[in-house]
Order: sequence, then C-alpha cells, then structure tokens
Amino acid sequence: MATATSAATAADDPDSAPEKTLIDIQNLNAWYGDFQAIHDLSLEIPRHQVTAFIGPSGCGKSTLLKWINRMNDVVPGAHAKGRLALIEDSGDGETETDILDPNLDVVGLRRKIGIVFQKPNPFPKSIYDNVAFGPRLHMKTTKSELDELVEWSLQKAAVWDEVKDRLNGPALGLSGGQQQRLCIARAIAVGPEVLLMDEPCSALDPSSTLAIEDLIFELRSQYTIVIVTHNMQQASRCSDKTAFFFEGKLVESGDTEKLFTKPDKKQTDDYVRGKFG
Amino acid sequence: MSSIPDAIANQDKTYLLEKANRRKRFSLWFYGLCVAIAFVSVIILIVLMISIWSQGSSRLTSDLILNSHSELEIEKSGMWPAIMGSLFVCGTCAAVALPLGVGTAVFLEEFQPTHRVLRLLHGFVQLNISNLAGVPSIVYGLLGLTVFVYMFNIFGQIRVNESAGWEIMGYKNYYQVLTLEPGHVVFVPQTDATVRETSFDEPFQAVDPASGQSFEIAIWTPGTPKPTAPEDRRVTVRAGVRGTTITETSWYYFRLPFDKSFLSGGLTLALVILPVIIIASQESLRGVPSSLREASMGLGATTWQTVRDVSLPAALPGIMTGSILAMGRAIGEAAPILVVMGAAVAKSTGPKHLMDNAVTMPVLIYNWAGRQQDEFKELSAAAIIVLLVILLVMNSTAIYIRQKVQKSQT
Repeated sequence: MATATSAATAADDPDSAPEKTLIDIQNLNAWYGDFQAIHDLSLEIPRHQVTAFIGPSGCGKSTLLKWINRMNDVVPGAHAKGRLALIEDSGDGETETDILDPNLDVVGLRRKIGIVFQKPNPFPKSIYDNVAFGPRLHMKTTKSELDELVEWSLQKAAVWDEVKDRLNGPALGLSGGQQQRLCIARAIAVGPEVLLMDEPCSALDPSSTLAIEDLIFELRSQYTIVIVTHNMQQASRCSDKTAFFFEGKLVESGDTEKLFTKPDKKQTDDYVRGKFG
Repeated sequence: MSSIPDAIANQDKTYLLEKANRRKRFSLWFYGLCVAIAFVSVIILIVLMISIWSQGSSRLTSDLILNSHSELEIEKSGMWPAIMGSLFVCGTCAAVALPLGVGTAVFLEEFQPTHRVLRLLHGFVQLNISNLAGVPSIVYGLLGLTVFVYMFNIFGQIRVNESAGWEIMGYKNYYQVLTLEPGHVVFVPQTDATVRETSFDEPFQAVDPASGQSFEIAIWTPGTPKPTAPEDRRVTVRAGVRGTTITETSWYYFRLPFDKSFLSGGLTLALVILPVIIIASQESLRGVPSSLREASMGLGATTWQTVRDVSLPAALPGIMTGSILAMGRAIGEAAPILVVMGAAVAKSTGPKHLMDNAVTMPVLIYNWAGRQQDEFKELSAAAIIVLLVILLVMNSTAIYIRQKVQKSQT
C-alpha cells in the first residue's frame, strides 16, 4: 500500500525529490571499442514509475539500458565511465550500489534489475520451467512454494489464465504475445526492483502490444520500469517520464505529457511529431 | 530521358521465348544429372551390400556370434571376442572423448576470452583442432604407440619374463614351477617383483591360487629314486628347476605403460575422433540463439549455470548426432588399432582386465579377409554384416533419442 501511495505522489509531483530516485546516472560515457555510444549523460530514473527512452536508431538508448544491468559485460570492448548507481530504500536509510564497479556481484545485480528483450526468448523448456528458472538459480524453495511463485508471476504478467492448463507444455508453443508475457513473468519471478524492457513490443502484433502495455501500466505500482521504444504512441500511452536521446546524448527528459505536448527543445518537438527519425 | 531504356522497350520476343525454353531445358537436364549422381552412390552401396550378403549370409550362424577365432576348426570360428573387444575399446573411447570434446567446445564457444593471453590461447586451440581433424588415423596410431603403449619408455619397457613396467594395483605375482607330473605346475608366491626368474633347490611352500591353501613341495635330486605315484609326483619338483613369474590379475589391474592393451586402443581412438566431436559440438553450440544466453544471463545466471541449463540442453541433439557419427568412425577404424594393439586375433574372450589385449571387429575382418581359405573369406563377409548391423542399431538408437530430446524441447 505504501508503495502505491509513493508512486501516486511521485506522479503528482514529478520534480518532488531526489530521494525518489532509484537509478542515478551522472556524466556517464560509454564506448564500444573506440566508438563512443554515450556522451556525458545525466539522468535520474524515479522509483515506481515508467520511464521511456525514445530516440532514433543508434542513439544510445539500448546501450544505456544494457549498462544498467551490465548486459554489456559480454560485449567485447564495451566500457563505461561516470556514475551509474542503484539506490535502494530498505526502510531505514538508503543503500547505494555502484553499478559500474568492476568487482560488483553482477549476478546479484541482475537479480535486482531484470531485463525483457526485444524478441520473446523463452527457453526451449516447459512454461513452468521457464518461470522457475530464475528462482531455481537464486532461491531455496520447496515444491509448493515454487508452484505458488510460478502462479503468482504468471498472474502478475497477465498470462496465467491462458497457460494454467498447460504449464508443463512447451513454452515455444505459445503465441508471440504470450511468449513475451511469459518472459516478463520469468523476469518478475526472481523478485527484481527494476524491469528493463528493450523494445518489448516491436516483434508483436497490435493486440499483443496492447496487452503488454496494459501489463506495464499494472506493474508500475510495484516495479520501476524502464522501457526503450521506437513507438511514440507507446511511450506517450504507458510511461510517466520520457527521455529523448539523440546521437548518444540526452536531449531532453521530463514528464511524458510535457515532453510530448510542450517540449523545451525544437529537436524533441520535431522527433515526437515524426518530422525526423 | 524518363522514357523506358531501349534494352527493356525493344525486346526480341522470339529470342526471349527461345532463351526461356533453353533455360528450362538446361534446368531439367541439371536436375537429371543431380538425380543420377545421387543414384551412383546409392547403387555402389547396394552392389556392395549384395556382394557381401551373397558371400557371407551362409555363415551368419550362432557360431559366428558366440565362438572365437580358431585355426583348427575354421567352420566354427566366430567373433565373440572381437565384439566384446570393440565394445570395450569404443566404450573407453567414448568415455574419454565425449567429456573432453564437449568440454573443449564449451570452452571455445561459451567463454568469451577477455584477456589478450586467453584470446591467443583460444585461437591456438581452435587452429589446432581444425588441423587435427584432417590428420590420417594411422598417424594417430603412431602417436598412440609412443604415448600410451610405450609412454616414452619413462616407466621402462614391458618384456616377457623380464619387466612388467610399473605395476600399480590389482595384481599378484607367482613363480610358476613344473612338477614331475607332466603338464602340472604349482604356484609359489613371489615376494620380490624384480626377480622374474629363480631356481628351486630346497623344499618350499606352494599355494593353490584359487583356494589360497598352501602345501609343501619336495625336491627330487636326479640319481635318487623318483616317486612313482601321481599324487607324489604332483608335489615334487626336480632340484634346480626354474620358476618363471606369472601374474594373477584382478579386473582393475593397472600398470604403466599401458602396453598393447584395449585401454591404449581406446585412448588412441579417442584422439582420432576428438576433433570431430569438438567441431560438431561447436557447430551445435553456435546454433543456440544468443538470445537464450542473454535471457539466462539477464536472470542472473552465471556462465556455468547458463551452459548447464540453457546452452548444453539446447545443443544436445546436435552434439549427440556428431558424437554418434564419430563413434561410428571409431568402431570401424582398423589402422590405428593395428598399430597400437597389434594384429593378433587368437583370443578366446573379451578383455579380462584394464591392461588386457583385445581383438576388434575391423582387425578380425582384416585378418580373415586376407587369408587363403575360402571359409575365412566367407566369415569375413559375415563379420562385415554383423558390424554393419551393429552400426545401424547404434545410429538408429541415437536418432530415436535425438528425436525424443528435440520433441521435449519444442
């Protein structure tokens, strides 16, 4: 209940306070080899809100997303400098984690910051095993606890009703939209605080897209969501905050409504109106 | 300028039609050629099968399966020791080559080299494997001879009645002594393994190796009256009789070097098929979509967990196919076996211990096929049929398992 209230206040008063910040990015620079993908970027991602990253292809939004849970570790030559911190509020004071710390426990970080990819990528296992994959890695659970967790995750991801009769059936037998919601359930099952979504609807048909968008709206009361999208309508429909990137730089960020109606910069205005990009 | 270029506008209709017809004719002709080429290999195989069947089918009896090679009763010669030998050799080969091969493939495909030295190592291993796949198997045979059979002579050479190399476990040495009863020997426990031969002048204790009971042996000096009763002759030896070492072995008898044992053969075959297994497993792992690895990493799995739970299961069908093809090659390989284990076929059973020699099916077929007697030529054809049937059963089992695995994943 407390979380819902804080989300509501944050939505009411967007500039309220930095203590609502969950991910704090200051002067971040990132490279792939010699190519600089992100230039001196500063952004705060607020807790329990949906933040959308928009911008033309190659503008660095996916790179930033992948730095947030260190998925770039496996990319040869990828490195970053600056401040990228996860700020957690455990009730009595905040703890801060430096995400770029090379000695950071990446496994623990990824448990807190889940990711959903562009193309649905369920494992070639049963639906149940897909959702149970993460919990089995991290937690010690009894069979009944795991059953409960799987059901809870699938319900959260709004796919339970469609799959409850075939939990042991293959995940690859589901439709694209169902697969993507299964992937979201899989990410939720490890109990993350942040969900990163890299163009989660770009491979889906309109009705599946709508289902995912509804889901994102539902989930934001409990999770901080960062979504990368090419779809302006999607960003305006389901996000609270929007950040517009261009050529590796942050052009403008702020309330979605303001950014789409009265942006400060002309470049943003042109982009959201579809004049370029 | 905006009008259509001449090349498109003014086309010779009859030429176009003729050209289209010519292309169609050529396409049809090419299709026929492909079918013919495909049939050539099938026909060769069929001819081979028919000729082998006509030669060998009359010898496909239970004797062939259950008996061993015999020079005296050619009619009743069989291949049981060879079947068992092939089983043991290929079992060793699979047990060694599969973990090594799949492990190497996982190292090369799943662990991205981050450091410069590691990258160099990666490239070095990869280059070597690609080259090794093309090396003729006889070369592996010579390698096996040096490495497994002789072990560079580090542990000494194995010579009958002189040296047994470094014996490590599973053996008990006796002196074998002839008694006065013709054809009867007694066993004397040997304490000093380095003395391979000794002479007996004093009465001594001998044991029955089966029961472990010991009994007294008397000495008969020539010139004195010789015992006449068989029971007495059985426990009496001539003075100065020589005893030579005999080794009683358990199944886990182990010594260095491996000498001409089935273990040497299996390890050598493992070297032969290792590159094939590595390359097949690599291909198969490369076929696993990287999105699955990302998904697993994104859930906080370590590289090991990702390999164990995602990459390997998804690549399993391909790895199995490659491994079975490689095992098919191993079971039919004769050249390295001939070099490493020799061409002897006169064995009555399969291997009895780790260091035991063995006959394999291809070596037996090679031996039989080269003999003068027609019976052996027929037996050889029959043995080929048995080998082909075993291969067929192996391959179809693998395909069946693969289908089941694949079905459970999709």
